[in-house]
Amino acid sequence: MVQYNFKKITVVPNGKDFVDIILSRTQRQTPTVVHKGYAISRLRQFYMRKVKYTQQNFHEKLSTIIEEFPRLDEIHPFYGDLLHVLYNKDHYKLALGQINTARNLISKIAKDYVKLLKYGDSLYRCKSLKVAALGRMCTVIKRIGPSLAYLEQIRQHMARLPSIDPNTRTILICGYPNVGKSSFMNKITRADVDVQPYAFTTKSLFVGHTDYKYLRYQVIDTPGILDRPFEDRNIIEMCSITALAHLRAAVLFFLDISGSCGYSIAQQAALFHSIKSLFMNKPLIIVCNKTDLQPLDGISEEDRKLVIEMKAEAMKTVIGQGGEPENEEGVLLTMSTLTEDGVIAVKNAACERLLNQRVELKKKSKKMNDCRNRFHVALPKPRDQKERPPCIPQAVLEAKAKQAEEEKKRKTEKDLEEENGGAGVYSASLKKNYILASDEWKEDVLPEILDGHNVYDFIDPDILLRLEELEREEGLRQAEEEADDFEMDGEELSPEEQEALAEIRKKKNLLIQQHRMKKSTAESRPVVPRKFDTDRKFTTKRMGRQLSTLGLDPSLAINRARSKSRGRKRERSVERGEADGGDTMDIDGNQASKKLRLRSMSRSRSRSRPPITEVLPGEGLKDSAQKSYSYIETKAPVLWETFHWKDGQALRHVQEIKL
Amino acid sequence: MRIEKCWFCSSTVYPGHGIQFVRNDAKIFRFCRSKCHKNFKMKRNPRKVKWTKAYRRLHGKDMTQDSTFEFERKRNRPERYDRNLAENTLKAIKKIDKIRSDRASDHIKNRLKTGKVQRQKEARKQLEQGIHLVKAPLALAQDSSLHLPKIKVNVSQAQTEGNQPMEE
Repeated sequence: MVQYNFKKITVVPNGKDFVDIILSRTQRQTPTVVHKGYAISRLRQFYMRKVKYTQQNFHEKLSTIIEEFPRLDEIHPFYGDLLHVLYNKDHYKLALGQINTARNLISKIAKDYVKLLKYGDSLYRCKSLKVAALGRMCTVIKRIGPSLAYLEQIRQHMARLPSIDPNTRTILICGYPNVGKSSFMNKITRADVDVQPYAFTTKSLFVGHTDYKYLRYQVIDTPGILDRPFEDRNIIEMCSITALAHLRAAVLFFLDISGSCGYSIAQQAALFHSIKSLFMNKPLIIVCNKTDLQPLDGISEEDRKLVIEMKAEAMKTVIGQGGEPENEEGVLLTMSTLTEDGVIAVKNAACERLLNQRVELKKKSKKMNDCRNRFHVALPKPRDQKERPPCIPQAVLEAKAKQAEEEKKRKTEKDLEEENGGAGVYSASLKKNYILASDEWKEDVLPEILDGHNVYDFIDPDILLRLEELEREEGLRQAEEEADDFEMDGEELSPEEQEALAEIRKKKNLLIQQHRMKKSTAESRPVVPRKFDTDRKFTTKRMGRQLSTLGLDPSLAINRARSKSRGRKRERSVERGEADGGDTMDIDGNQASKKLRLRSMSRSRSRSRPPITEVLPGEGLKDSAQKSYSYIETKAPVLWETFHWKDGQALRHVQEIKL
Repeated sequence: MRIEKCWFCSSTVYPGHGIQFVRNDAKIFRFCRSKCHKNFKMKRNPRKVKWTKAYRRLHGKDMTQDSTFEFERKRNRPERYDRNLAENTLKAIKKIDKIRSDRASDHIKNRLKTGKVQRQKEARKQLEQGIHLVKAPLALAQDSSLHLPKIKVNVSQAQTEGNQPMEE
């Protein structure tokens, strides 16, 4: 319902601000960087985007304005008229219309310029098109600047209008200025309306709320109305006239009997008669205020006559609603807001009259008829005066009585507990009332967990059967397994074979390790060749050991090695371990030397280097002469150099001459 | 009081151990220790984590389908207590356990059998091919079995004979 959201209309910015907002947003939200080297389609797209974005934003904002401001034809006529009275319908509509046209113009501009931009051929041209588009849009907005300002003012005023619900229970207070309407309002509601001695203190409608019979009533205080022809009324009076005209409310017409408002009863009566057409179909109550100054009985005859006339009119409205014509009290009331005498009575009377009228109307309306057809309260009509109470069979009554008795006599657990030592000492056996196959089982404790399993998961009535089946299965399976295992055992290696395999693997690993060491050091570290054997580990003993582990007889090899190492001169053949050791006839020399050999194991030059000229077997030289010649040719100069490296040029030169 | 299964590694969680996590869709995750809990928080899939039961079952390392598993089933409706039944159940649990563990170990043994056979074949081949590293061909010719050669220590007759005159 738009009428209650006058406070929620968004702020309407004025022309300049509007333009600023939109342009700055365009600048922030669209890409900003462009170079003239970009592809032309990209440039066009860039500028088209800006134009479209600006147009969209304008469109959005203008649309919100147009939609949020209420349309005077679509809201409740009370509000429509009120707004018309305050702001002039035509101006309002014109302003909104201008906004609408501005929106359409901007859309058109954008469309045209986008079309032009599609054929822009350089950065500069596209840019100027965009500038032109935005410029024109901004001019449009500038032109509607005054409308925007006007709408802003309206918005601010509308937000401050009192929130009157035209459909709920309402009480309207009207009358001449200064008769005491606002004071009455202050008395019955929490509204704090200005009360001043001068006329037209209240310049607009004020709303307050009051309660009666658990219902909430709106009380509307209006500005005073003067007795003038309709066309001459000013805006303030028109407000109250509008309220009177459109709101379905109870009307309290205030009458100042004392005349201290500055107007006589006659004038007030005249006003009453001129606006009585507005009181059609509304419960009317004439309230005579300020009775503390002038009681009702003390007024003059003419005045009294006028009052009676007014009352008669008021009565007519009562009759018009179908109320009892006898009830005169609800029509003319007296009170004084100063002494608070009769204020509540007035309020109650007004609320009562209004409520009755509304209920009557609802009853008569179609909706009620629809519902009423569906309800029917059926009450059986007694056909005679006989008593017919409910019939309860005797057995049930007896049983009930017995149960009641038992309740009193039964021993409760609490009694038991107290007998056996109280709460801390005795703990009741919760298993006492278990229903089991045998009573001995009641206090049995069953473990919940066994070997990492929940016992409750295994409980099964036919667990024994299943277990038997399982065991049978298992037996069969195990037999099969054994048969399989038996077959498999033939393939294994014997322990000696395993030993051999272990040796093989060890040896292989060793070889691999040595190879790796050799490989890694081959290029970086010079290796001492084997023939120099500084650790003296390449001995015949070692060789003998290795050969024997391979399963060979090393004696021959050792002899040969020894014979080789002792040189050609001493031709000793080591024939150890001969089978026919002492039996054969030895050659003399051999025999003698054999003895020597056996006793003293002299090693001729096994540990020193042979002289240079001695030919070692395996070198490939014929005799020592050849060897010494080769030495002089190859090694001697080198040796000379190494020992004479410090010598200067002169000495070297001498050497050359010598040779 | 129940023994639960850890959601991640499927080990048993005794009362008083581990952490229980309840998700917003009311699914409960129980963990036996912080290792499993942290793995879960890292969103690891137990079916891909080698040491969990889920992985082992999925990849056939452990026994998956067996009639012994049917015995243990969460029952929601409690049975009325019966002493004989309770006794039988307790005894049965032990037997079922034993059978189950036997079957599980057999399963693993069978699984490893092919590997074993293969390894034996390889060993035999290696032995045949590499015997030359530990046994000279001459020794092999004399004694053709694939064993290490016997080391012969020659106690020379000549020496003993030679010693005799000295002792004299």
